[in-house]
Amino acid sequence: MLAVRELSKFYQNKPALDNVSFNLNRGEIVALLGANGSGKTTTVQAICNLIEFEQGDIQFDDVSVKNNTRYLRHVGAVLDGSRNTNWRLTAHQNAEYFAQIKGIKPKHSRPVINKLSSQLGLEPHRHKEVMKLSTGNKQKASLLCALAYQPELMLLDEPTLGLDFSTVNELQQIISEQAANAEQGFLITSHDLSFIDQICDRVIVLEQGKVIFNGSIRELNQQMFRYEMKVVAEREHIARFQETIQLTAQGNWEQHCDENRLVVHYDTVEQVLPLLSWLNNQSWRPQSLQVSELNIEKAYRTLLANKEAS
Amino acid sequence: MNYFDLFINETKVHFFEMRQYWFETVTALLMIVGIFVGLFFGVKSLMPGMSEGDSLDGLVFGFLLWSFASSAYNAVAKSIIEDTQKGYIEHLFMCPAGFSKLMLTRTLAELIIGYGYLILIAFVAMWATDNWIDINFFWLFCLLMLAAPSLVGLGFLISGLALLFKKVETVGMMLSLAFMGLVALDGLPFNIFTLLPFVPGASLARDVIVAQQPVNLVHVGIVALNSLVYCLVGLMVFRRMEKLAKQRNLIGKY
Repeated sequence: MLAVRELSKFYQNKPALDNVSFNLNRGEIVALLGANGSGKTTTVQAICNLIEFEQGDIQFDDVSVKNNTRYLRHVGAVLDGSRNTNWRLTAHQNAEYFAQIKGIKPKHSRPVINKLSSQLGLEPHRHKEVMKLSTGNKQKASLLCALAYQPELMLLDEPTLGLDFSTVNELQQIISEQAANAEQGFLITSHDLSFIDQICDRVIVLEQGKVIFNGSIRELNQQMFRYEMKVVAEREHIARFQETIQLTAQGNWEQHCDENRLVVHYDTVEQVLPLLSWLNNQSWRPQSLQVSELNIEKAYRTLLANKEAS
Repeated sequence: MNYFDLFINETKVHFFEMRQYWFETVTALLMIVGIFVGLFFGVKSLMPGMSEGDSLDGLVFGFLLWSFASSAYNAVAKSIIEDTQKGYIEHLFMCPAGFSKLMLTRTLAELIIGYGYLILIAFVAMWATDNWIDINFFWLFCLLMLAAPSLVGLGFLISGLALLFKKVETVGMMLSLAFMGLVALDGLPFNIFTLLPFVPGASLARDVIVAQQPVNLVHVGIVALNSLVYCLVGLMVFRRMEKLAKQRNLIGKY
């Protein structure tokens, strides 16, 4: 359905996108990941016809989107920030308005809007203008507008921003159902890795405008460290600890030492337990010990470091 | 894409906003009438000699033309600036019919609703000043619709600049003042003022509606040509600015 071919976009001769290529099929849910400034939003904007690109092409059903707006009938989007609704109107009024802009008459869009509104928990706020809604409900209103006309391709830029757990679950369910039953394709950018983990079939990772990974979640997890242990101690203790890691650590891991600080990256919670046990049996105690799950930004850096190393 | 549906869509949204923000709707109406009444009695007290006859009729009619000119220009310019501020202009650029066509249908909707406003303002203003003019509103509508595209073109031109330079409200305010001059100028028969936007349209409306002169087809042609040229130039400039804004990723940035 969507084919991005060697897409390049430059700002003042600096590449924002550099030869980006990927496909997205009907019914497929694909995540577009990357650190801030990696080119995610630029990619989404190019697909939405909101920016002009210098090189490459984007095709929708084998037809180039250059000088063509008809394909936009089949493209829905929730863009970043709260830039998706007229805040002087209610969520329902917005949804009907945007559906009709896409050529869907109210008699056809209304049943869909009512169903989605219930699913998203917007019914109690039916008569409130968007400006009077909370941040989370504003995001739901944006989703309602984008889903109201049942586009074949949905672009969701940070859709979970400001949503509570139950709504995130509802959203996951809606996206999965729409992809399976209505054969809608989804391209989702998000920093919420667990959200991506649970619903996406495929992941594309961008770094400085280049695609550095395009594959399944499983393949991504194999290449990306998820946890980090930071230990600060005297240098001689750090050196002993490094030796222990070399001898005892299992699975995929890496370590970086900086003076009296050691950072260890690893894949699963279980990997760190023998190290903690070893630490506990020592006569010395570290000045600080921190074990944490990496946020997506840091996880990308480990992926990037792996790419550079290989 | 059905343009009639787009037109209905825009009209509906306009009415939703008017209904939901009725206080704003009513105060805007009262304010514009209040300004006119103040202006009317101010002029009358300063120039006692013009208390009767054509001059006061011209003042009332000029005010109506100015109201229309402002609303026709704002139908595009203010709309695009406000949509950017409200934060959903990107989605309007994603209209399959194209942004310019969507704006043209919105403009038509706003012009028709604006004309309804104008009739209301006309009666309230004539009642408040007790200066009644015999206005054929059907003919006035036809003539203003013929002349309006020149102002719509001007609106597109300024909106195009707004896409690139963002803060152009000052230009809009200056133009609102300039419209007072434009509606007062005489652009018919052909003279240098004919080349200015809306001037021949305003002159034709004054000749036909106030002076009750028969419609001169050559003058109608001049008004149509004036409208066509400004509208086309405005659209061309807007498209060029839109392209530049897309190249520089400025759509929606405010």
